[in-house]
Amino acid sequence: MSHSTDIVHLAGLMKTFGKVRALDGLDLTVRPGEVHGFLGPNGAGKSTTIRILLGLIRATGGRVELFGADPWREAARLHRRLAYVAGDVALWPGLTGGQCLDVIGATHGGVHRGRRADLIERFDLDPTKRIRDYSKGNRQKVGLVAALAADADLLVLDEPTSGLDPLMEQTFQQCVRERRDDGVTVLLSSHILGEVEALADRVSIVRRGRTVTTGSLADLRRHTRTSVHAVTAREPEGLAGAAGVADCVSKQRDGHVDTRFTIDPDHLDTTIGRLHAAQIHTLTVAPPSLDALFLRAYGGAADTREAAGPLAGADR
Amino acid sequence: MSAMVAITWRTHRRRTLIWVIALAAGMIATAVAVAGLYDTPAKIHSYAEAVTSGSALAAINGRVEGIDSLGGVIQDEFGFLASFLLPLLGIGLIAGSTRREEESGRWETILGGRIARHQPVLAALAVATAAILATSILFAAGLVAAGVPARGAILYSAALGLLAAVFAGLAALLAQLVPHARGVYTWSLVVLAAAYVLRGVGDVAGNWLTWLSPLGWAEKTAPFGEQQRWWVLALPAVAGLASGGAAVWLAARRDLGSALLRGGANPARATRFRRSPIGFAVWIHGPATAGWLAGGIMFTAMMGALAHQFLDAMAGNPALGEAMGIGAGRPLAGYLAATQLYLAVIGTGYVIQAVGALRAEEAEGRVESRLAGTLSRLRWLAAHVAVVAVGLAFIVVGSTVVLTLSTTWSVGSADEVGATIRAGLDYLPAEFVLAGLALAVYGLWPRGFALTWTAYAVAAFIALLGPSLDLAPWVLDVAPTTHIGNPPLGAVDAGNLAALAALAVGFTLVGSVAFGRRDIPRA
Repeated sequence: MSHSTDIVHLAGLMKTFGKVRALDGLDLTVRPGEVHGFLGPNGAGKSTTIRILLGLIRATGGRVELFGADPWREAARLHRRLAYVAGDVALWPGLTGGQCLDVIGATHGGVHRGRRADLIERFDLDPTKRIRDYSKGNRQKVGLVAALAADADLLVLDEPTSGLDPLMEQTFQQCVRERRDDGVTVLLSSHILGEVEALADRVSIVRRGRTVTTGSLADLRRHTRTSVHAVTAREPEGLAGAAGVADCVSKQRDGHVDTRFTIDPDHLDTTIGRLHAAQIHTLTVAPPSLDALFLRAYGGAADTREAAGPLAGADR
Repeated sequence: MSAMVAITWRTHRRRTLIWVIALAAGMIATAVAVAGLYDTPAKIHSYAEAVTSGSALAAINGRVEGIDSLGGVIQDEFGFLASFLLPLLGIGLIAGSTRREEESGRWETILGGRIARHQPVLAALAVATAAILATSILFAAGLVAAGVPARGAILYSAALGLLAAVFAGLAALLAQLVPHARGVYTWSLVVLAAAYVLRGVGDVAGNWLTWLSPLGWAEKTAPFGEQQRWWVLALPAVAGLASGGAAVWLAARRDLGSALLRGGANPARATRFRRSPIGFAVWIHGPATAGWLAGGIMFTAMMGALAHQFLDAMAGNPALGEAMGIGAGRPLAGYLAATQLYLAVIGTGYVIQAVGALRAEEAEGRVESRLAGTLSRLRWLAAHVAVVAVGLAFIVVGSTVVLTLSTTWSVGSADEVGATIRAGLDYLPAEFVLAGLALAVYGLWPRGFALTWTAYAVAAFIALLGPSLDLAPWVLDVAPTTHIGNPPLGAVDAGNLAALAALAVGFTLVGSVAFGRRDIPRA
């Protein structure tokens, strides 16, 4: 398969800092037009990967392609086509927010004027305040506005919403969708699962410098279990032994029967039938959340059901 | 409180120890070298004769009472450096452990624990006081070992220690008033410069102005004079306690992160110039450049203004010229040469500080912000190097022009104008060598940048004190300024200038190539 159309192609990426192995054979492919969620806990190597991708640090080994070229050699040229937001945007305390936008904008391939003004308004940013007088969230907004206003083909967002309030988080998601609709590719590194779930077409989950799982959300979901929580008038019959059902726990509570179990999505229909027969009071069916996928990936060698079970039970 | 002192010590001990050890070692080495050089009463007497016969040296080194003694010679030799190093000890220790910590947000973390708002400042003052005390004790011991009478040694060390303490208290107070560590340094140095000028003018004129300056207080204790004035120690002690106390008092009452003095209106857009790599580098280095330029101009204005008195003194006593390393033939040229050497030390300090600013930009993560776009590493670095080089030229030319103007006004002749300006330019290669070294260290091993300052201290020490301490030729050769040839008095060897320039270019290339190849940030 040719990689020439991929926006980002990393294969077997290695990076060591002295004795510490930060990346240990990481793979990541971002296709044109997609929002790619890059998931992992702190210290998994996400920021290191992104710095390599930007040509700020050099990979110790492996293959690095950004727009089909080597970012270490051609950083400045390739950066014409991308905009980057760091998790903790470092700005100049003595400049105002507006000045920082212009200074950063000057290093982008181009800045869309109308979008810049529009974004400042939507993110409720005061461009006349000095950076040192901004809160962490407002500094982050400067980075976001700078990147979203850029005329770029690729947005590299490294935990971009740290410090944002939920309202701004919504605004951010809306803006990213608009950019994607414009045809922009997005690499979204995050440990906030809800954010990735809301935005990403495909995800890669990394752990200890290695890619554990990659694929579309739908793909990943197919391999995990749906969790069901039902309160019925009577004990549902034949549930415990039914095909596809696991982790079934039934309890009497206030005259009702409270049942929790996980189920293979293929057997959902028949099982709901059994619940129906037992007269449903309330029913919650939670599709496998990204949390479950995430924890499953992190469960590593551990049994997948065990990993998925308790998490799915934590009603979302 | 002990917890806070422990935190302050733990987080700043390396810096503090380096300061204490370097300063004490430098002072003791000077004392020992002076003692070795002036080993007979006759030599001491002729030195005393020489330096007391004019006002120029009194302006630079101070008017030393009891100079006809080993202690007096040491005090005089050390006069200029001590005037800056000890205040800088106090300022550096306090600024680094107060406003910088607060600015970084680390105090927020600490004050979230069981630490009261005033305790970090108090702890910083406590640690600084201990460091100053240790420096003084070491120095006193070194003086006694060099053969200086104990009473004088103790009084002199105490006076120098309290000089550092005054500026520590001042810095602590400023740290409450201005929002940034940079401001603490700037304003402390402004006060220091004013104190130096007051002391200088007071000593030359022989009037009460000296008593307004903390540097004057140290001098007026007269540690080696016939009449020691122990009571004068009370002045810096009270000033230090008062300013330090005010700092603690303010810290307990103000909001965390607040400052009484803040800037004004803020533009919402960056100008086209500032968006360019060069314009942005100008913005980064501008304030520091202006500060060093102001320092250079103040120094050269003073030296120029004193030229007339110096020439008079020389005419009366040729030995004075020899004490300053100036031949009798062309006293004015010799005087200007000495001044240019000091100016070269100032210029070198600027370039190292400016390259250090790049290191700071990287440590704060802002180099990443800068390089995440279309700006390449080498263009970024080249813009900064260009701006710093032009900044140095500004400082050197500006200060030199002021030197020629004030000298011409003072001596009423414009004979040496051209030669003086050329002399300033002749020193540029020597200054660029250390700038190049700083760049090489920044490119190869940014975390070791402090080494550059060590190199600077060594080079400055050799340049300023080496000849009068009769250091070995190979030691003198270590300082790049040695190879310039002491213009306008001495002859400048164009070959040497070219060699220094080549060395500077070589260092710069090494630094640039290394910077182009290394990780940013370097782990």
